[in-house]
Amino acid sequence: MTNRDMAKVIAKGWPDAESIPRYQNQIEIVCGNPDSIAGLLHYLQSVGFDHMSNLTCVDWLEENRFDVTYNLWSYKYDLQATVKAGIDRDEPEIPTAMDVWPQAQAYEQEIHEMFGVEFIGNPDLSPLFLHNWKDIPPLRKDFDTEAYSVKAFGAVRNKE
Amino acid sequence: MEPVFYELTKLAQNDEYTTYEMFFGPNHPGMHGNFGYVIDAVGATVVKVRVNAGLLHRGFEKLMETKQWFQNLSLIPRICVPDPDPNEVAYCTAVERICGIEIPERAKYIRSMTLEMSRMTSLLMGMGALGAMMGLYSAMYRMMTDRDFVLDMFEWLTGARIYHIYNVPGGVRRDLPDGFTDKLSGVLDTLEYNLKEWDNLVFENPVVHKRLTGIGRITSEEAIRYGIVGPNLRATGYLVDVRRDDPYAAYPYLDFDTPVTEGGDALARAVQCRKEYELSINIVRQIIKKLPKSKEYRADTGNALKFRVPPGDTYAKVESSKGEYGYYIVSDGGLKPYRVSVRGPSLPAGLALCHKHLPGMDISDVAIWMASFAVCPPDIDR
Repeated sequence: MTNRDMAKVIAKGWPDAESIPRYQNQIEIVCGNPDSIAGLLHYLQSVGFDHMSNLTCVDWLEENRFDVTYNLWSYKYDLQATVKAGIDRDEPEIPTAMDVWPQAQAYEQEIHEMFGVEFIGNPDLSPLFLHNWKDIPPLRKDFDTEAYSVKAFGAVRNKE
Repeated sequence: MEPVFYELTKLAQNDEYTTYEMFFGPNHPGMHGNFGYVIDAVGATVVKVRVNAGLLHRGFEKLMETKQWFQNLSLIPRICVPDPDPNEVAYCTAVERICGIEIPERAKYIRSMTLEMSRMTSLLMGMGALGAMMGLYSAMYRMMTDRDFVLDMFEWLTGARIYHIYNVPGGVRRDLPDGFTDKLSGVLDTLEYNLKEWDNLVFENPVVHKRLTGIGRITSEEAIRYGIVGPNLRATGYLVDVRRDDPYAAYPYLDFDTPVTEGGDALARAVQCRKEYELSINIVRQIIKKLPKSKEYRADTGNALKFRVPPGDTYAKVESSKGEYGYYIVSDGGLKPYRVSVRGPSLPAGLALCHKHLPGMDISDVAIWMASFAVCPPDIDR
């Protein structure tokens, strides 16, 4: 099965999501409704995307949007899917993918810490890497690393 | 799994100190790297485990957003200490895919060769570490000697032993030196000869078999749900291999059969590592034989300081010694990456599977569990 065939199957089975074939074996799937992301991932798992490679988040500051991105792989068809769920940057909330892939718990914990995204249904969103962090989540685009190091460690600013 | 209660602990059940807390790492001989588990234990049995990560956090993903595409090359190998080359190749593959760069044939072969050499060094370190976790330190020391032979070759090829920074978008940094392949063939002969010794010392050792059997048993279905990849998944008898399924570099031109092992426990994973090591030696031999004669090793990518990647995003992955290593790269058309996300192969086992496997286990088995799943903290804290 090629990525074009798979994109047609997904367009028929889950009309809410837009699927675009790209490169050799990749499909980009844009989730229309982020609240139904768990259902979409369940559906994708049932059509063959059985492995979640990576769960990450991209901060689009100018568009005021977080893209929560799931990279999936199908061991059966050797296809890669990149599922993007755009959520509001001011109230970042999305249901958890833990019920589909239990490993998502750790990734979501990390994204919550680094981007401040709330994953509804994830039981443990406690800090994982940062200790006593009081600033805004550090991987957001509006986090100023230089200002933070001046404030926290008394670093000297680079002269222009 | 319910914890096992011993007679004495039964007597002390009402005692509030029955369950005690133990820091397994970062300062522990059974822990490789700055990472730790906080273990709640009753007697010698683990009841609950909490992850103590972040001791190694270097903010690579954030740092990469502030550096140019070529500058990042000096950062990415540092994400995985024992197996750095898959990082470089995954990053370069992703960049080349978005840019539409086709790299020269010779560069593909050289890339595959560095990847397989890197796999060998990492597998030797992993197998040696597994021996060390059982108190079999001679395995560790002797395998490190073998690893040094490969590192010497790397030093000759790239100028560095650990962080090679050799693969760049468009190909590789420099061509093979004169006489490199002959010397490498000699090293491979030595490694293959020593393999018999490793069999006697580790893989056919009855003590090792007794110690490893049954630890961390996992089925294929469970491994897939938890995102376990590479040799650990193949040790459950499920054949997957990124080199075969999603080919990159020169792997489409090479002829190899990826081995699998039935069982799914620590012993199966150790045996699988040995088979993978043998496969790597064979693949490097094939590459030496098939290496194209042309001298072109790098496609022209223009001025590195003005290098731009068109807007787009892609996920590229590479089979490392621990499994799938992936880079998800987003570009907005600028001089720097917009976002780089790294998928380390040990995160699912190290952060998620530990909550399922460790409770009920003996404290002395925790180190073996970690070494057999090849949990490597640098790619968890990236």
